[in-house]
Amino acid sequence: MKEILTIDLELCTGCRNCELACSTAHTKSFNPKRARIQILKDEVRNLIVPMVCLQCETPLCQEACPTGAIVENDHGVLYVKQETCIGCQNCVTACVYGGIAIDPQSKKAIKCDLCNGEPACVKACDYGAISVASKKPEGLHQRRKAVSPAFQTLGIQIEEAQE
Amino acid sequence: MTFPYKGYAGYYLEVDLTKGVVHKKEMEKEWARLYLGGTGVSAKILWERTTANTDPLSPENVLIVGTGPLTGAMFSPSGRMMFATRSPLTGVWAESHVGGFLGPEIKYAGFDFVIFNGRSEKPVYLFLRDGKAELIDASHLWGKETNIVATMIREEHKDPAVKVAAIGPAGENQVLYSSIIVDFYRAAGRAGLGTILGSKNVKAIAASGSLGLEAYDMEKYLEANAREMERLEDPIWTDSLASLRKYGTTDLVAVINEIGRLPTKNHWTGYFEDAEDIGPEIIAEKYRIAQEACHGCAVGCKYVIRVKGGKYQTDPVGGPEYETIMAFGSNCLNNDIESVFHLGKRCDLLGLDTISTGKSISFAMELYEKGIITKKDTDGLDLTWGNAEVQAELVEKIAKREGFGKILANGVRKAAEQIGGDAWKYAVHVKGLEASGQDPRAHQSIGLTYATNVRGADHLRSISCIEELGYPKIAADRFGEDKAEAILEIMSPKHKGEVVWDVEDLYALVDSAVICKYATMWPPVFYFDTFVNVIPALTGMEEWGNPKYVRQTAERISHLRRAFNHRLGITRKDETLPPRLLSEPMPTGPSKGGLPDLDVMLDEYYEFRGCDKETGYPKESKLKELQLEFVVDELKPLKMTR
Repeated sequence: MKEILTIDLELCTGCRNCELACSTAHTKSFNPKRARIQILKDEVRNLIVPMVCLQCETPLCQEACPTGAIVENDHGVLYVKQETCIGCQNCVTACVYGGIAIDPQSKKAIKCDLCNGEPACVKACDYGAISVASKKPEGLHQRRKAVSPAFQTLGIQIEEAQE
Repeated sequence: MTFPYKGYAGYYLEVDLTKGVVHKKEMEKEWARLYLGGTGVSAKILWERTTANTDPLSPENVLIVGTGPLTGAMFSPSGRMMFATRSPLTGVWAESHVGGFLGPEIKYAGFDFVIFNGRSEKPVYLFLRDGKAELIDASHLWGKETNIVATMIREEHKDPAVKVAAIGPAGENQVLYSSIIVDFYRAAGRAGLGTILGSKNVKAIAASGSLGLEAYDMEKYLEANAREMERLEDPIWTDSLASLRKYGTTDLVAVINEIGRLPTKNHWTGYFEDAEDIGPEIIAEKYRIAQEACHGCAVGCKYVIRVKGGKYQTDPVGGPEYETIMAFGSNCLNNDIESVFHLGKRCDLLGLDTISTGKSISFAMELYEKGIITKKDTDGLDLTWGNAEVQAELVEKIAKREGFGKILANGVRKAAEQIGGDAWKYAVHVKGLEASGQDPRAHQSIGLTYATNVRGADHLRSISCIEELGYPKIAADRFGEDKAEAILEIMSPKHKGEVVWDVEDLYALVDSAVICKYATMWPPVFYFDTFVNVIPALTGMEEWGNPKYVRQTAERISHLRRAFNHRLGITRKDETLPPRLLSEPMPTGPSKGGLPDLDVMLDEYYEFRGCDKETGYPKESKLKELQLEFVVDELKPLKMTR
């Protein structure tokens, strides 16, 4: 677990191409609802909130999983083992960042696995809003910066575990 | 046999509003093969299901909601959808396209097309989710403005992912140029599609879907797609694309004023002295707060503005397009950009087409100046040029069909008939559609575009930007070295018949695919070969890999739309320009003295189109070559073929 995704809200136009690219990479279909990255929008308030797994240091989703389906892959990134997941949604409830969701077709949990180091969403973002950062203090700071404007707008205070 | 092609959702929905029932049906194979989707398929359906006697506002008229195979299939810019019907404003062919997110969502919800028939007894809205459709009571939404409708429907379904197209009070009140607003501040504006929904008692169409779409050969399609996207990186359009990203279409105010083509004072001239006050720089510096994009779009021409303080203070809203700024700004001699923001916003919330609204108001302002109407006719309003407050009052009156607004709500052609006298001289329209923001006296081929456009005077069916933006390489590649020089000459009518014929066919595919005019029209990145590249891998329709087949399909769509209009009585005499644009030389500005040479261009266009020069009717042999025998069967007995 050395890398994380960070999103620059100033650059995000809300076009959802990341969702499309993610669904194409993971499901071989165009289906934003099955994407591991989700863009929440409130057009009336001009609010765009990208939701994606923050690759937490203390992964609450993993702790909450009763079947041990959330495990590290070869690249050291947590992913959901589809054959072990029972779709109980405990992980969804546990994650405070909305970084893990239920696939509407398989009814099992899905989360960002960083596409083995070359995330499809990063490549698909025409506005350069998504990048891969290292899990060093600079990268973590970048991650916090990316989520804070939205959380401030929504009136939620956040504290980073490591900084 | 099941519908075999991928890229499509594979189903369409028949909605019988009179009975209040919906029927889900499998897509027709021939629709995809011969008409692709969107505009093409709509032309086929409207041809079959309406007649010369179908009153646009009657339950018998049909309204089609359409998408294309590229909609939602990760081709940038393809987050679009379209509507088609027989227009209540013009009485002829009407289609209107719009961006946002609803088009892809309708497909993800399992449908390519929705066909509305009949009239509902009480207000309803259509809700689509994962292969299921239902008509839901909309009594509580009736009378509400468009963004409220969208927000309320989302709340009702407890799903922020629901995408909504809605009409506003204007559509309910049967203003003849009512729009359909999609996903907040994006408009299917022209020719009164919203009026038809209102006449059928349909307030909105909403969808949320998780069914997704497949490709016939995903790997091959993504490769073809990537090759097409690389074309966007060509340095020849770096500037055009950078400008769209930075200013959206507002940059056109400056660019177009510079060539003397910015409609000013009800199209009297093409040059506005105060253009800087309503131009791109001031908007970007003072009001723009964010860039926006439609579904999966790499261009991102949309933007958000905010006005702090003053009479027109507003929370963040979608910023106006060039056409809106032109219609309420230069065309009404109004240089107060904050008032233009307000007028554009009000039109979107009320569900009014900004172009026709602005043009109806400028028409009235000119009649007021000329003394053809006075305060007695205008409910006491002072319609002096540039009076922004009165413009704002008129927008509300038009939407409510109240007082003088009742006349302007009919559009300039009918309003001129009602007012009488010389009023018709100042009604700037073709086939009843108010002219959009161009002027043939400064750009020859626009004259031909306005005259031949199946929906009336606007640019979107066949504007050529090659000479406007100056792309010698594109002109030579598409039409040959020998013609390039004359084509690039913006005031020469030479070869413009061929150019307009060519782009009309290109846009027929663009509008059937369904993709955006940005990156096809402005700048001209994608061409016929784009479809040859991507459609077979996406859909599995092998014949689409043949360039000749692709061009022939485009021609078929163009001819079918024209035939639809012929059946309603349209001939060469209707394919003309209003007196102001045809015979009043441009009075001021950089294009001073300019006039279009329409007849020369029309003759050449009919030649290329395969039509008779005297009447504009199609040649029987041409129709047969395009497999339009069913059109021959109907038009020939009416003596409408040659």
